[in-house]
Amino acid sequence: MAIDSKKVIEIASKLQIESNEKGIMAAFGVYAAMNYNEFYFKVVSQAIHGMNTHSVYAIEKKLYEAVLECGYHTFHGIRASMHWREHITPMISTPEDEVAALVAFTNIFGIGYIEIEEIIPGERLVTVVKNAYDPGRYIEKYGPQPYGRCYMFSACTASYMDLVYSDPYPSGMGMFKAREVTCRSTGDLICRFIAER
Amino acid sequence: MLLEFEPEMNVLKLDGIGVSLHCHHFNCGLVKALEEMEGIDARSLIIQAAQEEFHDNFTRYILNHLSGAPAEEKLKTAAELYRFMGFGRIDLSRLSGSGGKAYADSSYYVTGWLAKYERRTTPVCHLTCGFLSGILSAVYEKPLDTYRVEETMCMISGQEQCEFLLTVKE
Repeated sequence: MAIDSKKVIEIASKLQIESNEKGIMAAFGVYAAMNYNEFYFKVVSQAIHGMNTHSVYAIEKKLYEAVLECGYHTFHGIRASMHWREHITPMISTPEDEVAALVAFTNIFGIGYIEIEEIIPGERLVTVVKNAYDPGRYIEKYGPQPYGRCYMFSACTASYMDLVYSDPYPSGMGMFKAREVTCRSTGDLICRFIAER
Repeated sequence: MLLEFEPEMNVLKLDGIGVSLHCHHFNCGLVKALEEMEGIDARSLIIQAAQEEFHDNFTRYILNHLSGAPAEEKLKTAAELYRFMGFGRIDLSRLSGSGGKAYADSSYYVTGWLAKYERRTTPVCHLTCGFLSGILSAVYEKPLDTYRVEETMCMISGQEQCEFLLTVKE
C-alpha cells in the first residue's frame, strides 16, 4: 500500500479548521463543531440505559445512519478539496490507496485512532480501533455490554467503502453495511469493524 | 483556549479535556434520533449532559486561568469558548447570578438543522440551554442544577435571534 498514514495525518492536521467570527466552523462542505467526548457518551448511554433491546436497536440504527451520512458527506468533501488534490492525490494509485488515505485522514478528528486491518478490493474492509472513548466508559459506568457500542466507527468504516467502491457520489451511500465484531465494551481487547457489500 | 492534538492516538484535548469534531449530519442527526424515540425526553437529556460537562470543565478553567477575575470577564470567556467550539455567537453580558437573558445571533444547531432538515416550530438549541446553565453555575459558584433555561425564541422558526431565559430554580 502506497499510503504513508503518518504523512497523511501530518498534512491533514495542518489544516486550519476553525470557527469564524460568528462561531460557525464550515469545512469540507459540512458544518463542524467540537464537543466533549463525555457529552456524547452521556447522551447516548443514558438514552439506551434501561431500554428494551428492540428500542436500543432502533436508536443505534438511527445513530449509525447519522454517522454514515456524516462520514459519507465529510469524506467526500475532503477528497474533493484542493488540499486533498494537492497533497494526498499524488500518493494514490489504486482505489485501496484512496480508502487508506481516507482512513488516515479520519485520524485528526479526535475520535480515537482507526487503522486498516484488511481490505479486499470492492468487497470488504476490516478496521480496528484501540482507543475509542465510549467502550471504556461503558465498562466503567455500566459494566460489560451485551454487544459493541461503537456505532460511530461502524458507520465510518462503511462510508469509506461507499465512497470508493459504490456508485458515484452522492448515489452510493448505504451500499456497504458495517458491523462491529469485537468491542472493548464487551470485554474484547480491541474494537474491530467489518464493512461488506 | 488551548487545543492540543496527539497524532499517534488521534486524541484532541481542549484545555486538557478530550473533545472531538463532528459534522452537522451527526450532531443534528443525534438530536433528531433522540427526539423521535418514544420514552426519551431528548431535550432534558441533552441539556443535562451539556450542563454537567460545561459546568465541570469551565469550573476547572476558571480555577486554572480566571481565578479572582470578575464575573463579566468569566462570561466573556465562556462566550469565546462557545464560539471557539463552533456552536455560534452568543451574548452573555446581560446575565447575572440571578439569571437573566442571553441572545445568540448565530447558532450551530439552527445552521446545521436548516442545512439538513426543514424549519420547525419548536426550538432546537438544547445544547445551548445546557451550556448556559452549566456556565452560569460555574461562574457564580452555584450547585450544578441551580438554573432553569428556556429557549424563548429560536431562529429555527424564523426569529431574528435565539433568546434564552435563565431563572433560579425554586
